[in-house]
Amino acid sequence: MHVRPILSALRRHRTTATLIILEIALTCAIVCNAVFLIHDRLSRIDQPSGLDERDLIRIQITGIDKTADAVALGRQDLQALRTLPGVRHAACTNMLPFSSSSMTGAARTEPGDAAPKVKVTMYMGSPDLLETLGVGLVAGRAFTPDEYVGLDAVQADQTPLPSVIVTRDAAERLLPGKNPLGQRLYILGKAPQVVVGVIDRLAPSTGGPDPAEPSYAVVLPVHYPYSIGGTYLLQVDPARQAEVLGAVDAALARVDRNRIVQSRESYAEIRDAFFRQDRSLAYLLTGVSITLLAVTGFGIVGLASFWVQQRTRQIGVRRALGATRGDITRYFQLENFLLTTAGIAVGMVLAYAINLWLMHRYQIARLPAGFLPIGAGLLWLLGQLAVLGPARRAAAIPPAIATRSV
Amino acid sequence: MTAVFGYYLELAGRSLRRHVVLTALMIATIGFGVGASMTTLTVLHVLSRDPIPGKSHELYYVQLDPRKAGGAAPDEEPESQLTRADAEALLRAGRADRQAMMVGGNAAVEPVTEGAASSALPASMVDARWTSADLFAMFEVPFAAGGGWTAEDDARAARVVVITRALAEKLFGAVAVTGRTVRVNGIAMRIVGVIDRWSVSPHFYDLTVGAYGIDEQLFAPFSTSRALQFGRSGDMNCWAYASDLEAVGAPCTWIQLWVELGSQPRAAAYHDFLVQYSEDERKAGRFERPPNVRLRDVTAWLDHKQIVPDEVHLQIAIAFGFLAVCLINTVGLLLTKFLRRSAEIGVRRALGASRRSIFLQLLVEAGMIGVAGGVLGLGLAWLGLWAVRHQPTSYAELARLDLPMLAATVALAVASSLCAGLLPAWRGCHLPPAIQLKSQ
Amino acid sequence: MLHMKDVSKVFRTEMVETHALRRLTLEIRDTEFVAVTGPSGSGKSTFLNIAGLLEELTGGEYRLDGVDVSRLDDRQRSRLRNEKIGFVFQSFNLIPDLDLFDNVDVPLRYRGFTSGERRRRIEAALEQVGLRSRTRHYPAELSGGQQQRVAIARAIAGAPKLLLADEPTGNLDSQMAREIMQLLEGLNAQGTLVVMVTHDPEIAGRAQRNIHLVDGVAADLDRGPSLIAPGTAAARPTA
Repeated sequence: MHVRPILSALRRHRTTATLIILEIALTCAIVCNAVFLIHDRLSRIDQPSGLDERDLIRIQITGIDKTADAVALGRQDLQALRTLPGVRHAACTNMLPFSSSSMTGAARTEPGDAAPKVKVTMYMGSPDLLETLGVGLVAGRAFTPDEYVGLDAVQADQTPLPSVIVTRDAAERLLPGKNPLGQRLYILGKAPQVVVGVIDRLAPSTGGPDPAEPSYAVVLPVHYPYSIGGTYLLQVDPARQAEVLGAVDAALARVDRNRIVQSRESYAEIRDAFFRQDRSLAYLLTGVSITLLAVTGFGIVGLASFWVQQRTRQIGVRRALGATRGDITRYFQLENFLLTTAGIAVGMVLAYAINLWLMHRYQIARLPAGFLPIGAGLLWLLGQLAVLGPARRAAAIPPAIATRSV
Repeated sequence: MTAVFGYYLELAGRSLRRHVVLTALMIATIGFGVGASMTTLTVLHVLSRDPIPGKSHELYYVQLDPRKAGGAAPDEEPESQLTRADAEALLRAGRADRQAMMVGGNAAVEPVTEGAASSALPASMVDARWTSADLFAMFEVPFAAGGGWTAEDDARAARVVVITRALAEKLFGAVAVTGRTVRVNGIAMRIVGVIDRWSVSPHFYDLTVGAYGIDEQLFAPFSTSRALQFGRSGDMNCWAYASDLEAVGAPCTWIQLWVELGSQPRAAAYHDFLVQYSEDERKAGRFERPPNVRLRDVTAWLDHKQIVPDEVHLQIAIAFGFLAVCLINTVGLLLTKFLRRSAEIGVRRALGASRRSIFLQLLVEAGMIGVAGGVLGLGLAWLGLWAVRHQPTSYAELARLDLPMLAATVALAVASSLCAGLLPAWRGCHLPPAIQLKSQ
Repeated sequence: MLHMKDVSKVFRTEMVETHALRRLTLEIRDTEFVAVTGPSGSGKSTFLNIAGLLEELTGGEYRLDGVDVSRLDDRQRSRLRNEKIGFVFQSFNLIPDLDLFDNVDVPLRYRGFTSGERRRRIEAALEQVGLRSRTRHYPAELSGGQQQRVAIARAIAGAPKLLLADEPTGNLDSQMAREIMQLLEGLNAQGTLVVMVTHDPEIAGRAQRNIHLVDGVAADLDRGPSLIAPGTAAARPTA
């Protein structure tokens, strides 16, 4: 291979060569990080919520009359909603995964503030909450109706909160190695809660920075009426979703006129809205990466064409001396490959530098080494594609040029 | 001097026209780089504007530290908001030129029309603010009709409201509705004022409900809102249990207090007052920590809160990285463009052009590309901001090009292309005069 | 070695047809030293290009070392050029970005020699032209005469059978020109066929045989002992 003479010749065109290397390096560094960020965001968007998402609708209502008995009205509301054709289950809840409101607390295995605690997301709601969400138990049982208490009563320590259902990950974190069923946890109020059931997964509301972060979520049998922010969840037959959405307002108004329905959304819409920022960033980065590669590609075409033009005579001489068209093409392709490789080498270092800065400033994870070959591969491909045209033009230079006088 | 410049312009124009594709490529490159950068910079510009120019250095935000002693770190940032007890006490003390305590809220509003017990229009939920009377004067809120309420109204929890023009038009179809009644959460309240278009961005006085895109429609006295149990919105942070979190004695911070202090000495004096107040409270047993107060003006407060979302900073970084690559690209293309003309330049030098004039001639060419690129960049920035406005972000509506940003776009394009042109022009003017030029 | 029969070359543009060579017939033997002369426009350069396989002929037949070139594709022509022909140009045509070693190396690279073989040949060639000591210098650092000598070294490094020289002394002063001619004569004495295009009659005089081209047609002007016996197939003017 003709590497050495090519390098030797490039050394005489340091400026242009450096420009190409710099441009490739910068593009490589940016594209590597961009691809990583896109991947990171997309995996965030794809996080499983743990629910049966397809069939869920959320209704937010608020009451005008503050003195009304929201708990009783809530029960009537759910009954009315259940009668709507197409509605399979109805429940009231304080929050949903990937919605904007969140309720967290601390779970301990020992009583007292000094004991080590684990931050958990606390889901609360009416008795058929888990059923409506489509979350199945993997162990233990669901709450019984008499286990339910009011939130105020628990917080004032008037009534003990008897039980809790935990996710698998929360059980493993709080009670590693043990069978969680029957164990005591201190979450709300002075009295402990006994673990009566285990569910597979329930994502925390905020989505967290790391999609692999286990969901430490617990479900508590606490009434959470609409007056303090509870929302209604309906599991509907998807074919009748539109029908149900249209009938909700009337059904609730029949129970009590003094309320306003603030929103009726499918869970898909809620989830969509939650991740819109991630999606935007992914789109932005994709657009930037493609444009960047295009700009660099055109730059290489420009510079390569220039070199072909500058070396026209030289190429004719080479052909006269016996180089085939293929030899000439391969010369330019090899030259481009060497430059691209140098650019990629610098680019890798730059990519890590950029990643460190992103990590420091925006709490992004470390760039896994697996993304570097992607960036490198893209740029090698780009370089070779870009040089193809000029290289072919170079190969077409007739050997007779060598004998032409100046 | 200008004659020569005109000649350079002519030469540049001719040269650029001769190699249309290359020129177009360079213009496009600069245009895209500048367009992207200016889109993100404009977003930053609108997000970090002074929300209340003229008064931003006279309005101060008060912070105290009423928390438990345990877990305190030296020089820790105190609570972001005040407890109800402290807010009301400071309000009563009245040591500033003006002061207002406030909190966000929401309520259901319906008009009361003559002759009907309940209105034909269904109630709608609106964002509201429960505040004491001074807010309107402090923030220089413009009124289309009527005005704010008085301190007496605050004291007796009067059932009065101020609504916005938009709400008035929606409920009554008119703007001059002072004196009429609306039902707020079912309770009849009298309208005493209608605010003309007033939009504060960022929503500096209460960032806990959001920084952008929040416009309250309804204002009522804080005391009234508590008496009638109107809903509250925003953050609440409690460090102990209490049965009624909104009571005066509750260990919860949820209220904002803004004071107006006309001069530096007055601000310093007020700061000392706050320290004294904290010390007094500690002696009385309410506060457990030594005085830890903050008194920041609007600018400092926004700075401290870093309200510009991280995503905006990230976008700026991305855009400028992109611009950097575009610039390097342009340097390369300009270099090839100029070096290709070594024969022409060599002849010019042989005929007497100095290095300096060749340098300027080439630089003018680079500058022309910058101007064209700037125009393209302007169009692309406009398009970019259009796209931003269609994002469902809280600040979407604000993303618009104003005159300074417009000028900045063109300036950035010309500056970058001139910078990009420096090396190529320098190399170009050092090409040997024609005599010395041989083949290759 | 070099057989041309009725070779013609026509350049066609949209408006003009130029007959650079008209039914040129000639034969050159293995160890001759031939000068091809003629006024400008006579077709000397075209003859050289065709003889050196740099251009294709429009009509007629050309056999180089027994191979009929019309059958060859571009690849095969390149190969033939590489192995059988050495070029020396008027403007030297050294590659300015490469040092002398790499310049002489160029045709050898396309030949497929091992790096050891190439080094051996390059050093021998530079030795033969007297520039062994300047191996790592660049063309810009040499005088015209020295550059031409390097070009000759490049031409002979692959031990070609035919050396084609296009005005080899055109850009040199008389002293350097004499040195170059001495080199060429020396190479011819060692058995290489040298065909030289020149307009300088003094230079042409040093060749053993002259072929004079006028309007694309050849006429032999023998000077000195002729290798062509009368009556044999020799260049004769054809209409």
